[in-house]
Parts: sequence; C-alpha cells; structure tokens
Amino acid sequence: MSTPSRKRLMRDFKRLQQDPPAGISGAPQDNNIMLWNAVIFGPDDTPWDGGTFKLTLQFTEDYPNKPPTVRFVSKMFHPNIYADGSICLDILQNQWSPIYDVAAILTSIQSLLCDPNPNSPANSEAARMYSENRREYNRRVREIVEQSWTAE
Amino acid sequence: MNSDGGGASEEDRPRDDEILAFHHAIRAADAEKLEFVGDKEPLSVLAAEYEAGNPVFRAKVEKLGQTYVAIRRARGDGNCFFRSFMFSYLEHILETRDETEVKRIQKNIEQSKKALIELGYQEFTFEDFLSIFVEQLDSVLPGRESSVDIDQLVEKCRDRYISDYVVMFFRFVTSAEIRKRAEFFEPFILGLSNMNVQQFCKTSVEPMGEESDHVHITALSDALGVPVRVVYLDRSVGADGKNTDVNHHDFLPPDCPTVEMPPVVLLYRPGHYDILYTREVQNLAPVPRVEEPQDLPELKGLQEAKETPVKSIQDANSTQEAIAA
Repeated sequence: MSTPSRKRLMRDFKRLQQDPPAGISGAPQDNNIMLWNAVIFGPDDTPWDGGTFKLTLQFTEDYPNKPPTVRFVSKMFHPNIYADGSICLDILQNQWSPIYDVAAILTSIQSLLCDPNPNSPANSEAARMYSENRREYNRRVREIVEQSWTAE
Repeated sequence: MNSDGGGASEEDRPRDDEILAFHHAIRAADAEKLEFVGDKEPLSVLAAEYEAGNPVFRAKVEKLGQTYVAIRRARGDGNCFFRSFMFSYLEHILETRDETEVKRIQKNIEQSKKALIELGYQEFTFEDFLSIFVEQLDSVLPGRESSVDIDQLVEKCRDRYISDYVVMFFRFVTSAEIRKRAEFFEPFILGLSNMNVQQFCKTSVEPMGEESDHVHITALSDALGVPVRVVYLDRSVGADGKNTDVNHHDFLPPDCPTVEMPPVVLLYRPGHYDILYTREVQNLAPVPRVEEPQDLPELKGLQEAKETPVKSIQDANSTQEAIAA
C-alpha cells in the first residue's frame, strides 16, 4: 500500500542512491520500507577514522511529520549515545522537521560523532572523560572503532 | 516611535509567570478538547470568559465588539497562528470567489518554491506539503470538481493530515523568507533570542509546535503577499492609565494592493491566536494605505526596517521567550 510516508521514503532512498553524502550509506530492508539499515563511517583524521558503525532507522506512518527512531546497532562510546544505542540529538527529538531526509539525518549523526554536545549527556562516563581526559576518551573511541570491524 | 495610546510599558504587561500559566492552561485544555479550528462563535463567548476577570480585559472585550462580531478558536498547540491563517485565508477565498487572488498567491507560492531550492532545500522534502495547500486553494473556488462548501472546509481544516501538512508548508515558506532576507530579519531575531538567523529558523520556525510571533507573521505575510491583521487583547492600558482601546497591527506585504480590512484577522492573547470576524461585509474596494496611529510601536519598527527598538519590544521579547520556553 502506498501511503504519503512510504512515497516520501522512496524519494529519500532515491536521493541517497543518486547523491550519497560522503561517509554514509543506507537502504530499506528488502521487504519493509519502514525499516532501514544504515552505516556511518568514522570521519577521516579523527579518533573515529576507520570505524564502520551500523544503525537502524524505524519509521512510522507519521513520517515525515514525526522523526524515525534511530539506534546504533554497533557498540558505541559517545557522550550523546545511550547504552542501548539510541541517540540524543535535537533534530531526532524536539527540533525535528520534515526538511530532514534520511541523508540529512545520517549526516547529522556523523557530525555528532566528532562534535558531542556535553550539555545533554546520555553516557555520563563518556561525557566526563570527553571533558576531563581527552587522551583516555580517544583511546576508548579507538577501541570502539576496532570492535566495529569484527562485530557482526 | 512611542505612541500615546498603544504603548505597553513593563508594568502593564502580565508577569511572565502569569503568561506561562495561561499558556500552559490553554495548551493543556485545548489539546484535549479543541479541534484544530473550532466553530464560529459569537463574540459574547469572550465576554463570558472574562466575566469575573480583569477589568481591563472586560473593557477591551466590550470595545472589541464594536468592530468584530465573532471568533473561531484555534487549538493552542503551538501551531495556532498557522492553522488560523490557513482557515481564515481559505474561508476568505471561499466567500469572495476571488480567482484573481488565487492566481496571485500561486505566483508567490512558485517564488517561495524557487527560494527554497536556491537555499538548498531538496524539492522532495517540501513538495507534498506544497501540493496539499494548492489542493485546498483549488477546492475553495467554485465550479471545481473538488469544490467545497463552508462545512466541508471546516471538516478539511480539522483533518490532521491536511492541517499538519499545510502548517508545515507555511513553516517552509516562512523559513525561506527569513533566510532569503536574513539581513532584514536579523535584528528582530536577535531581539527575540540569542540565535542567529540559521539557528532561529532551525529551532523556532521549521519544527512543528514552535510558537509564532511577529517575525513569523511578517515573513509569511510578505512571502505569500497576504495582509494580516492582529488584534491584541492584553492588559495594557494607555499612558494615562485608563485608555482601554484595543490595539491592532496590520502586517502589509510590500506592493500589495491596499485593503481596508485584511483578509486574515486574528485575535492575539499572550501566547495564542484565534480567528476574528468583522462586523461589516468586507469592503473590497482598495483605499489609500495610511500608517495607522494606533499601531503598536514595537511592531511598527518591523515594517520600517531597522529602527532603534523601544523598550517595550524587549519586554515583549522576554515574554515571547518565556512562552517558548
């Protein structure tokens, strides 16, 4: 059945295929356009460099008036990412707007990796380490990067 | 910039916590029981609402009755300005059957579309919203396959899908206009918040449920070329401490034909907009445009570009921030 949200998601997918932003990829699951798998590559020249982080995006029929539920499947260590992989990011919560498509969502999450918001910590250990002991923080991030190669 | 009758000084305004309490109360109550747009009700319902209330409000409600006869409430969910604008404008077209006006606004819609694309918005992210509004425009003209009567228009404007999509379209248009004329809007945005134009659009225009104030109204009115009157019902009194004249401000887009009464007339109470209806059948003949002496000084500045903000605009701004918080 083609609903406004499904039609819109088809266009999101088309744009992602035709004009993919650097370092991200995503596609709906074979039989379900409402559930997407995505990968964000860690930005070059940062502690995240080389990481391949998997996510899922679950959409509802309210999309694009309501944001999808986005969650990291890969284990993460980041001030704004909860233990269950859910993400504390303004545009996925109260600052959501239909101007964001899947490409924009993934790009925003990618830039969140290197640019955490210490004011809304989801992982207090990561937040504290980020501000107090950057060397140790970067070491933990490198661990996560290495785990992202092997985890399935 | 200061006027004798309309200025609202600090002590005239309700305290921020009063506004907040009022705001939360209407939001909570409205979201539960009110349609996106209510039924047309006689203005006497307002008088009843303030029967035991503040004497300034009571006096103003009585004066409101000299010019306006009815009110249609909008749900107080942060989108009330856009929902009121939508209904009020579509109803105006339905009544006037003004095809020329529809052709004119469609040109402005095309301009907004171009602006959005030039600003880097992906067309597919806004085209659904745009086409829903264009469908509604078409349906209020007579002789179309989709033509509606007033009851059907009310029904459509109460439909979540249609109403939310049109609100979102207006938010796109508003954001594009502000970004396109960033230099013009910047001083007013700086007065409202600590944000720059980009941040303001991202956090206070584009998300659903974000309240509107004079920046949003100016931008939407200018972008679509639709004059809007906002009538202010608050506790402010004139400089003599007695004057309870009801202030209003007409948002007149540049180059628009002059009108005696804008097609969209809204009642503003701190934190909320509803639709107002005038006593007379609207006089459609253009009359010379004059600056109205009863204009609120803080809003007049907006039309005259960068005038030094008067103190009252800062008060109004802190109020708005309190509301938005």
